[in-house]
Amino acid sequence: MGRFAFRTMLMAGAVALGCTPGFAQVLEVGVDASPAGLDPHIITAFSSFQVVNGTIYEGLTAIDKDLRIGPSIAESWTVSPDGKTYTFKIRTGVTFHSGAALEAADVAASLKRVLAKEISSPLASRLAAVDTITAPDAATVVVQLKEPSAPLLTSLATLAIVPRGFETDKDGLQKQPVGTGPFKFREWQPNGFIALARHDGYWKKGAPKLDGVKFNIVPESATRQVGLASGQYSLLPNIDAATALQLKGRPGVKLAETLELAYTLVGLNVSKPPFDNAKVREAVNVALNRSEIIAAALFGAGVPGGPLSPALKDWAVATSEFPCYTHDPARAAALLKEAGVATPVAVTMTVLPRQDIKDIAQVVQQQLNKAGFKVELKTPELGQFIQDWRNSNFDMFASTNAGSPDPDDYFFRTFRTGGSTNVFKYSNTEIDGLLDKARANVDPAGRKADYTRVQKVLACEGPIVHLAYSQLFTAMRQNVGGFEIIANRSLSTLADTAVAK
Amino acid sequence: MIGRLVAGRLLDLAVVLASVSVLVFFMIRLIPGDAVAIMLGANTEVTPERIAALRASIGLDQPIVLQYLGWVGRALRGDFGTSLWTGRPVIDEIAVHVWPTLQLTLLALVIGAGLAVPTGVLMARLRGRFADGLLRVVTVAGLTVPSFWLGIIMILALATYAPTIQALGYVPFSQDPLGHLGRLVLPATALALPILANLSRLVRSAMLDALGQDYIRTARAKGVGERGVLYRHALRNALIPYVTSVGIMTGYLLGGAIVVEQVFAIPGLGRLILGAVAERNYPLLQATILVVTCAVVLINFLVDLVYLAIDPRVRA
Repeated sequence: MGRFAFRTMLMAGAVALGCTPGFAQVLEVGVDASPAGLDPHIITAFSSFQVVNGTIYEGLTAIDKDLRIGPSIAESWTVSPDGKTYTFKIRTGVTFHSGAALEAADVAASLKRVLAKEISSPLASRLAAVDTITAPDAATVVVQLKEPSAPLLTSLATLAIVPRGFETDKDGLQKQPVGTGPFKFREWQPNGFIALARHDGYWKKGAPKLDGVKFNIVPESATRQVGLASGQYSLLPNIDAATALQLKGRPGVKLAETLELAYTLVGLNVSKPPFDNAKVREAVNVALNRSEIIAAALFGAGVPGGPLSPALKDWAVATSEFPCYTHDPARAAALLKEAGVATPVAVTMTVLPRQDIKDIAQVVQQQLNKAGFKVELKTPELGQFIQDWRNSNFDMFASTNAGSPDPDDYFFRTFRTGGSTNVFKYSNTEIDGLLDKARANVDPAGRKADYTRVQKVLACEGPIVHLAYSQLFTAMRQNVGGFEIIANRSLSTLADTAVAK
Repeated sequence: MIGRLVAGRLLDLAVVLASVSVLVFFMIRLIPGDAVAIMLGANTEVTPERIAALRASIGLDQPIVLQYLGWVGRALRGDFGTSLWTGRPVIDEIAVHVWPTLQLTLLALVIGAGLAVPTGVLMARLRGRFADGLLRVVTVAGLTVPSFWLGIIMILALATYAPTIQALGYVPFSQDPLGHLGRLVLPATALALPILANLSRLVRSAMLDALGQDYIRTARAKGVGERGVLYRHALRNALIPYVTSVGIMTGYLLGGAIVVEQVFAIPGLGRLILGAVAERNYPLLQATILVVTCAVVLINFLVDLVYLAIDPRVRA
C-alpha cells in the first residue's frame, strides 16, 4: 500500500468520524489559556475576551469581519448634530439566557455597571465621555455625552449587555454568566474546558447552527496542533504564524487569515537621554530593516506598518509615505552625529517575555548595533516587565500593543500628554491638539485629515518605533463552514458556524 | 509505637505547615507585579484610581502583616477564601483539580514502582550477562529522557499511527468512564518510565548488595531454594531504600507532574499551581501549596508505617 493510499485512508477515517449520526453538533475548540474569569466588565485579557465576546455576550453594536460597526442589541441609532446625544433603538425579541426579555433598562444598567464604583471595571475609561444614561421607554436608550466622542460606537461593541439585576453585583456574573449571545454558559472546569450550549431564544433567525461550543484549554502548542490534525479539535482560533505554518497543508486542515490590529513595537523613553532627542528616535527608525525582521522573526507572515494597522483601510497611511522607513545605516549614523550623542549609544532594551517578541528583539538588537547603537537585552519575568513598563522604568522596550477598529484607541491614550498608557512621557502640543480635535469630530473626512497628519509625525519621531503587523490565523478542520476570522480576535462568527455532515 | 509515630508526625505537620504558609505568603508577594497588574497586563487603558479600586477590592491595600494575620485567622476556621478573579471558593477549585493529579500519580506509581521490583530483581539475577547490560543501558536512557519530551513524542506518534484515538485532554469519569481511563494511560506511562528506570536500578543494586551478605550464604547453606533466597531473604532487605524512594517520588509526582499535565492538557494540581503563580492568585496558591505540603507529610507518615511492616528493627 502506497503512502498516498494510506493518507487517503486516514482522511476517510477522519471524515467517517465526523459523520457519526445522531450526535449533538458541538464544536471542539482548542485555546491556549484559561480565561481569568467570565465577568465581561472585569476581564481584559484576550484569552478571556475571545471566549465571551459575541458568543455569550453582545454589545449595543458589533464589529463585522471588515471591521465596520454594525447593529447588534441596538437595531439602529441617531446622533444629534452636536455629537453629544446618542439615541439607540433597542432590538425587540431579544432574550437573556435566563429567559427574561431584554429591555432598555437592562442596557442602561449594563453601561452604568461599567461605570459603577462597586464593580471597579477596568473598562470604565471607554465611557469616560458619558454624562448620563437614560431609558425613556422600553425600546429606547439615550446616552448623553459631556463632549463629542467619535470612538464611542466602537467602544460599545466591547461592552456586554447583562441583566439589570447585576448593576452593582460584583460576583454574580463570574460564577454564572448571563448574556444575550447565541450560546449560553453551561460548565466550566478550570484548566480543563468551558462548555457553551446553544441559546434557543437567540434573536437572529437561523442562528446558532451548532448545538454547542467547547473551549478546551490546551496550553502546549504541539498538543493543540496534533489535536487539530487528528480531528479531536475542530478549530484553533487566533494562532500565530509559527503554529499556522506547521499546520498548513495537513490533510483535512484549512487556514483562515487576516492582518492583525495589534502591532509589535520598540518603545522609547523620551523623558531622558538619549531618546529625548527626536533625531535619535529617527535614527532608530532608519537603522531598522523591517522586512528583515518580518522574515527572520515572524516567518514572513506580516507586513511593515506605521502607527495604524493597514487593516484599517480607511485610515492607515501607507509606509511608503514615511521617509524614515527606508533602511539606511549610513543615514542613521549621520542622524546620531547631528544629535550630538556619543556613539556607540549604549542602551538597555527590556523585552516582553514572549517568544515572537524575544525573536524580534534579537534582530532589532543586531540591526541597531550595526548603526551606532550598543543595545543590551533584558528579558524579565512578566510581572517585572509590567511593573517597569507602568513606572516608565526603561530606556527602550520591545513589546506588542493591541489595536482597535477606531484610530482614537491607537493614539489618544498612548500619545496624548498624560495619556493613561503614555509610559513614554511623550508630549507634543501639535499631536495633543489634533487628537482632541479628531476625537470630538464625528465627520469621518475631517477626522481622516487629522489622523493622517498624526501618523506622519508619529511614524518618524514619535516615542514608538512601529515594527510590523503580523498575520493572524485560525486553523480549522476542512468540514467547518461559516467561520470568519476577525482581526479584533472576536469569535462572534461562531453564531453562523456549522460542521458539515 | 504507632501512637508515638502519629504524635511525632502531627507535630512535624504543624511546624512544616506554619513555616510553609509564611514562606509562600511572603514569597509570592515579593515577586514584582501584583495580581491587579498581571491581570490588566501591559498597555491596558486604565486610570490609577481604577487600579487602586481593584487592589482595594481584593484587600491588597492593607499592610502585608495584617493581610497575613487575617488570612491565617480565616484559614484556622476553615475559610481559605475565594479565587481572586473567578470568585469561586478556593477549596472547590482544589477539589476539582486534585482528582486528575491523584489518579495520574497512583497510575504512574502502580506502573513505575510496580514494574521496578521484578525488573530490578531480574537485573540482579542476570548480573554480568548481556541482558543485564542491555537493561542497564535502557534504564540510563529512561533516567535521562524527560517525561514531557516523551509525552510529546507519544502524542505525535499516536497522531501519526492512530489518528482516530482521542487521547488528549481530560474527560470526567462520570461522563465517559472508558474515555476517562484511556486518556490517563499515555500521561501515566510518560510519568512512570523515569520512575521505573530509577527504581529498578535502585532495586538491582540493593539486591546485589543483599545477595553478597552472610545471611544469604546461610540461607543457601540450609537449603532454601533460589526463589526463597531471592524474594524472602534478599528482596525484603533490599526494599527499605526502595520504599524511601517511592515515598519521595510520590511527593514529587503530586506537585511535579506540571509539565506532563501541561503537555497532555490535564487539569491537575500542577497546572493549578502554575496558573496561580502566573496570575498571582494569592489565596488559591497559598491553599494549594498547603494541601500539597499536607500530602507530602502524610506520605512520609505512610512510609514510616511501611518501614514498621517490613523492618522488625523499627518495631523494637
